[in-house]
Amino acid sequence: MKFLQISILLLSLTSCTLATTKNLVSSPVVNTHFDNPYFSDSNQDYVYKGKIDVYGNYFGGIFIVKKIGRLHHRIVLTTELGNKIFDFELQNDSYKVNYILEELDRKIIINTLKRDFQLLVKEHTIVKKKYKNDPYIIYQSQHKKQLNFYFINKDTGKLEKLVNTSKRKEKTIVNFESINKKLAQRIVIEHKNIKLKIELKYLDNN
Amino acid sequence: MNKLMLYIYIIFFTLGVNAQQAQMSQTEINNFKKKIKAVAENTKTILSDFTQYKHLEFLSNDIKTSGKMAFKAPNLVKWEYTNPYKYSVIFKEDQLLINDDGKKSDVKIGGSKMFKKLNQLIVNSVSGNMFDNNEFDISYYKTAGFYRVLFTSKDKNLSKYIKQFILHFSKKELTVIEVKMVEPSNDYTQIIFKNRKENIVLKDEVFTN
Repeated sequence: MKFLQISILLLSLTSCTLATTKNLVSSPVVNTHFDNPYFSDSNQDYVYKGKIDVYGNYFGGIFIVKKIGRLHHRIVLTTELGNKIFDFELQNDSYKVNYILEELDRKIIINTLKRDFQLLVKEHTIVKKKYKNDPYIIYQSQHKKQLNFYFINKDTGKLEKLVNTSKRKEKTIVNFESINKKLAQRIVIEHKNIKLKIELKYLDNN
Repeated sequence: MNKLMLYIYIIFFTLGVNAQQAQMSQTEINNFKKKIKAVAENTKTILSDFTQYKHLEFLSNDIKTSGKMAFKAPNLVKWEYTNPYKYSVIFKEDQLLINDDGKKSDVKIGGSKMFKKLNQLIVNSVSGNMFDNNEFDISYYKTAGFYRVLFTSKDKNLSKYIKQFILHFSKKELTVIEVKMVEPSNDYTQIIFKNRKENIVLKDEVFTN
């Protein structure tokens, strides 16, 4: 009986372990700050072709991010023909919906988008913990009950992956690919708790 | 050219354009509408290159995309973007047939009245056949090079999406050379047509994805 209790306890403890930190080696924190460079240049128009898969429904659009002030970003999605789908403004932790298509005007959609965009454009992060796992150095930050893990390639110094979790579960994974200086030419945002995948490809003829 | 000169040049140029734009008289309007209607009736197909500029006030540059547009009377339209990405959309009755770089999807637009209306307006604007529409206040201007017609939304629901359609018609052929859709925020989409060919044979296969 006691063995069974211990087994159950062990089992429940293991299942509580966050997948992100599995096999990671903790390391002392030296730099207490990390800056995400990808949407930090106010002179740059960040224009991407977006492909969005949500619960088996697919749609595309043009995804636009512009830094319009300190810790202040404008994020817009339009159809290829130019009609606006949504228009968000993020400043610090607050947000404003300038426009959203009536059909998408639902709290759950707005909150999911807001969380994703805050994750994507958040520039300055306070590092609480540091891990190592070749080829990455991983910085962990905490915001309320959410944890963010920044995977930086040791050899290139570039941010390649960003994982947002609750204390127990991975929620959102962002992969940054084809990185050219401070610009990620391809970005993939995947959700673990909902069937939503966003793929962004940089449009560089503008 | 230094900056000051450039500003002066721009100001004069803008003033010049405005000065050249004059309101059309009622007789001119009636004449113009009659001619446009005749052109639209005789246009069975259109194939044209286009360049699209998406203007958002907070961006440093407009977003430029380009491709080909095909129209077949009465209501088949295909927009095919080739640069900087491959994407095509066919307006077919109650459906949008989309091919996004190989990924195909059909969107039924019957459910969304507003979307349907917007699409209908886009289809109509290609041929210039928008004058019998009660949802707009229409005003007519002429310049040295083209006619400029402003369609301002009267309908409360429509004006949430589109404030104004602005169509430019060539003076010679009376065909649409530019479409501009202005949103309530004054952001806009501008489409400029070039190399327009009319009444060439366009098989139905052109309008499949």
